[in-house]
Amino acid sequence: MKNKYKDLPRWAVFAIAAFVMNFPVISTLSAALKTNAEISRNPGLWVNAPTLENFAVVLEVTERLNIFSYLHNSLVASLIGSILPIMVCFPMAYAVARRGYGTNVIFPTVVNLRAMPLIIFAIPLYMMYQTVGLLDTRLGLGLILAVVNLPLALLLLINAINDVPYELDEAARMDGARIFTILVKIVFPICLPALATVFIFSFITAWNEFLFGLMLTTSEAVPMTVGASFFFSSGGGGVQWGVAAAVIIVASLPPVVLGILMYKHISRSMTAGAVKG
Amino acid sequence: MSPKIENRILATPIVLFLLVMLGFPAVLDILYSFSEVSFENLRAPTLNGGKNFVKVVNDPEFWAASWFSLKFGVATALSECILGLVLAVYLAPIIRKNNWMIAVLIMPMIIAPAMMGLMYRLVLHEFVGSLPHYLYLWLGDSPAFLSRENVFLTVFTIETLQWTPFAFLLFYMAYEAIPSEMREAAAVDGTRPWRMFWFIEVPQMAPTLAVAFFIRFIDGFRVFDNIFVLTGAGAGGSTTSLSIYIYLSFFRSGDIGKALAASVILFCVAFVILFFAGRVLRRDRA
Repeated sequence: MKNKYKDLPRWAVFAIAAFVMNFPVISTLSAALKTNAEISRNPGLWVNAPTLENFAVVLEVTERLNIFSYLHNSLVASLIGSILPIMVCFPMAYAVARRGYGTNVIFPTVVNLRAMPLIIFAIPLYMMYQTVGLLDTRLGLGLILAVVNLPLALLLLINAINDVPYELDEAARMDGARIFTILVKIVFPICLPALATVFIFSFITAWNEFLFGLMLTTSEAVPMTVGASFFFSSGGGGVQWGVAAAVIIVASLPPVVLGILMYKHISRSMTAGAVKG
Repeated sequence: MSPKIENRILATPIVLFLLVMLGFPAVLDILYSFSEVSFENLRAPTLNGGKNFVKVVNDPEFWAASWFSLKFGVATALSECILGLVLAVYLAPIIRKNNWMIAVLIMPMIIAPAMMGLMYRLVLHEFVGSLPHYLYLWLGDSPAFLSRENVFLTVFTIETLQWTPFAFLLFYMAYEAIPSEMREAAAVDGTRPWRMFWFIEVPQMAPTLAVAFFIRFIDGFRVFDNIFVLTGAGAGGSTTSLSIYIYLSFFRSGDIGKALAASVILFCVAFVILFFAGRVLRRDRA
């Protein structure tokens, strides 16, 4: 190392990039901590007298905008949308990883879904859901979120099963274990860490989804992302900016917390589809 | 059980799930796109041949939306990849020693695009937004970010800032995966850093560059969330992407036939793009 200031320009670039890309987050956080009067007097980033007032308003249960029900809907739909893909993909991943089965049709079809504009399925789904009574339900929303998460779940599960030594399957087979026993008692437990990554990444994706929440729910099953946008339509008295900012923070918190806890694994999953796809 | 039957059983859950969730809607899509259909006669539509398609093809808004999507997809993918590459290669030496920097840089892509759109609604607001505030303070003037002339640049910048981290992350990983012997050999031969970048590192990363560009293009092309919450396709429809066009035809105009015909067209276009991209990317890697 020539001198200790050699890396200074790189640190400067990092700081600028991090600040510019995260600017809306910083700005929203600052607005959420101000009273409405202070926001209009001082829209800058600095908060003179931080207050949690807006968060208190957000968490108060109101007639029109009930944030707890949005959070509840998002939670249930995201859980369905992240557990179901693992359940339907796991056996298929085993068939692909161990036997090369489905590599001609099923595998490419599922992986290409990653790039399909899913809105093309939204309208017929709306009709279908209306017929079978799934419109505006958490289950209905969860089911389509599961579809969104299929491609990555399948890819990551195939990778995970590839890492499990094949000798284990063979040994179990020798002992007379059937395919389901091998799947459930041998491969599944070894894959648990990978499954956790798939689950968390799927959960983040499902929580962040907006389009299907907007199209397939109206009142009962509205998820948090859609509910948050309601706070921006003024109910006569203009938008309460501080409250709106606090809502965005609350809505973004679960994925961000999960993301920070798991960022090493998340970054690998985010790129897995890209590198292998 | 023979392995053949076992394989079929293993594939059953995902195939059934896909058939119900996407196969059935796809059939409905095609069937209804050739029908006269509205919210009133949803259950008993009558076939009307290709009328819906004629309506879509003759709708200037459809072409405007297609053009917007294409322009938006290419422009954002290009800028995200260039910025991401610059950040990845330039910052690599310090990130290697400070892994936490990755977490800071990829934060924007963990936040929902819809929430990002709402944040920008606040940030860019004329009276309560922090950005116009500082621009007034320092420059004495602030552009109307969401006006007809500026709105494309605004949504383009927003998309770029949120998804440059994705390209950055891919490129950083590809950059770190370049075998060190390669750099050392080149260094021994006296290769200068700039030539090293263009003639050794970039070719090594070429497949990743192609994949990143493709993914970002597709995601930009089908953009919905952030634009919808930020502008509501507003500023005279100048930010209507194809996804938003389909949504608006369905919910605002109630013209289901038109929306479905546009969906089928989009499906075919996406299919063709995916088919060719798949072939090109596979050959790239082989």
